Order: sequence, then structure tokens, then C-alpha cells
Amino acid sequence: MSNPVFTQLVDEHYTSLYRFALSLARREADACDLVQQTFYIWATKGDALREETKAKSWLFTTLYREFLRGRRRDARATSIEDLPPGEQDIAAEEVDRVAKMDAATVVVALQAVEETFRAPLTLFYLEDLSYLEIAEALDVPIGTVMSRLSRGKTQLRAALQREEAEGKTKVVSFNEAARRKQA
Amino acid sequence: MSNNEAKFILSAYRPGGGDAADPAMAKALTQAKTDPSLGAWFAREQAHDAAVAGKLREITPPVGLREAILAGARASRNEMSRATTAAVTTQRAWWAQPVWLAAAAAVAVLLSLAAWRMSPVRGEAFEEFAVNFVDKGFMLQKRGADVAALKTWLGEQHGPLPEALPAKFADLHALGCRKLSFKGQDVSLMCFERDGKEFHVFVARVDGVDSAGADRAPRFLDGQKGGHVAATWADAKNRYVLVSDAKLDAVRQLL
Repeated sequence: MSNPVFTQLVDEHYTSLYRFALSLARREADACDLVQQTFYIWATKGDALREETKAKSWLFTTLYREFLRGRRRDARATSIEDLPPGEQDIAAEEVDRVAKMDAATVVVALQAVEETFRAPLTLFYLEDLSYLEIAEALDVPIGTVMSRLSRGKTQLRAALQREEAEGKTKVVSFNEAARRKQA
Repeated sequence: MSNNEAKFILSAYRPGGGDAADPAMAKALTQAKTDPSLGAWFAREQAHDAAVAGKLREITPPVGLREAILAGARASRNEMSRATTAAVTTQRAWWAQPVWLAAAAAVAVLLSLAAWRMSPVRGEAFEEFAVNFVDKGFMLQKRGADVAALKTWLGEQHGPLPEALPAKFADLHALGCRKLSFKGQDVSLMCFERDGKEFHVFVARVDGVDSAGADRAPRFLDGQKGGHVAATWADAKNRYVLVSDAKLDAVRQLL
């Protein structure tokens, strides 16, 4: 792959990949490492292995696999999926709650969602991939993606409510919020 | 289709309308238009999803990440280029068939990746180690343009901190830093950039590395591995090595 093409690929996708990585890894430094490692793998494998039209899905898939490879699976993930479906209805004031929050607080709430649900949920909110592409990227059936989105949204709403209740909706820089989460 | 089934499907409908043409969504969407309660739920769901998606779009990557990705790719391409050259000079026989060449290329990629990730950087002298470290390519552990924040982070990692960098470093754009080890001694690395050229400053405590011959006046080393330029100097506490892909004159002017 030529340098201009690679640069264009980086410019098109590194921001979304970083947001996805940040939701998974929670720490800024780890998120950056994940994004760098993803592009490193692309750069070293060359253009012969993939069609460029599929680059976006490939990058998200690779980043997620690198994340999974980097840490042990959460033992609770399976049991969480066995829980009965959560309450799906959403109150009108919940929309206002999000609108009034700063982006950092919303990300902190997103990071509180169990990882099994967080990965598809973040990809969904990034809007880069359809649920079909999310299923492919995470290597799970389509029905599982829908189920995880539904349950993930329920967890996210609960986390947003907690953030609001704890008075964390004041405007803070993202880094400060991330540090607070790590503490 | 019950409303609960429709909700299950519509939960995967992106707020930006990216799934409007998806046939699997069509029936649930139609039902949401004709059933008031489902329609109201879908409107709230979409509004909530749009609000969260909007907040996520406000998050921006740290300064320097893009440059770090591109620099890392350049380093990996150099590694690949060396692997390819070695393969071409090998005598061709039965293994020269495309399938074996493809397999060999895959192995070369894997070896390249493994070597880059796992092999230790060598170098007897501190400056030799520093040049090899940069030439091999590396990842930053802390990214940011705020030099004070980078020094704070290095301090938290118990890395040696520069007493004072030359005044002209203020003209450079900081990319980030990391901590590493040379002969069992902690080394701090701070990285800067200007006009597409990178400047990497390695800092080690004078009592931790061989500092014989190191002086306050910088000593310049041109034509190092990978075409890099190096400069080394010391102060009362630390020994410094600067490695750059800029020209020697540019490095001289900096110090």
C-alpha cells in the first residue's frame, strides 16, 4: 500500500477507532496503543490480504481482537447474558439527561457497561457499521448483536442515571473524567 | 410480529438512518409507523440514541496519535523492505512457485511482526542503543503536547527527568513519552516533532550509564543507522542522547 493511500486510510478511520478503543480499554494510553497496533498490523500485512472496500470492518475487527488478546476474558460475561431481558422502555426525560451531560461523562457511563455489551454498543453509536457488520466484526450471530444492543442500552441508561445522581454532570475535560474513572 | 419483537429489531436501527434500506428492518419500521405506542417508543429510542451518538462524536483522539501511527507504519515498512530484499536474493527452485512464495511472504510478515514486538534492542553504548531503538520503531506510552504533563507522567513512572532541555526545544511540538530500560537502568524518552522531522530525547541518570567523555557541550554523530543523526551530552544528573531523522545542521541549531 502506498504512503498516500495508507495516510488516507488513517485519516478516515483513526478517530472512530480511537473512540471504540477508548470505550473498550478505558485508559487513553491503552486506547492509543490499540489503534497503533491495529494500523501496524495493516501496514505489515500489506494490501494483498484485503480489499480496501472492506478496510473499515477489518480495522474494527482487528482492534477488537487485539483488545481481547491483551487481557483475560471477563468470567462474568456469560452469566450476564443469561439474565432475563431488561426493561426496554425509555422515559422522555432520559433523552434530556443525555443532552445536558458533557461528552466525557457520557463516555464514562459507556465505559461502565459490561464489556460484552459495550463493544457492540459503542460500534452502534459510532454509526460506522451496520448491525450486520458489527456481527461480522465481533464474530457473533446477528441475533446476539441485537440482544446485546438491547441489554447494553439498558445498562447504559442505568449508568447515565447513576452519573447524574452522583453529581458528575458538571463540565470537566475528558482527560480528567478518564482519570477519575481510573482512580 | 409483536411489539416486543419489533423493539428488539429496532434497537439495532442506527439513529442516523443508516439502516433505512435494510429489508430486515422494513417490517418493524412499518409497524412503528402504524402502531402509536410502538411509534412513540421508537421516537424516544432514536432521540436517545442520537444524543449518545452525538456525545461520542465530540470525543477527539489525543494530539499526536495520527503522527505516531504514520511514524510506526514507516518503521514497519522499513522492516518489511529488509525482509523482501532477503527473499528476492534467495535462489529460486520448487519453492519459487506462487503458493510457496505466498506462504513465505506470510511467514516473513509474521517473523517481522514477531521480531519487531519481541526482539530486544541492542547497543553497547547508550547512544548506539538509542539509535537502534528509534530505528526499530516503538510505541509511546503517554501521548500529549504538554511537556510538563509528560514530565509529570515520567516522574510517576520513576523515570529520570531532564534537568533542563535546550531552550530551542520550546519551538518543537511534543508528541509524547515513554519509559524503557538500558542495561537494567531506567531511561526516559521524550519525543518531539517539527516540519515532519522527529526528535527523540533519551534521558538516563549519569551514574546509571557509562558517561565517560560526555560533556555539557553536545557531541554529534552523523550517518547513524537508518540515516539518523544523534547527539549526546550530559549535565550534573543526567546523560542525554538525541536521535533525529532531521539533517545534522537542523540538530546542531537545536542544541
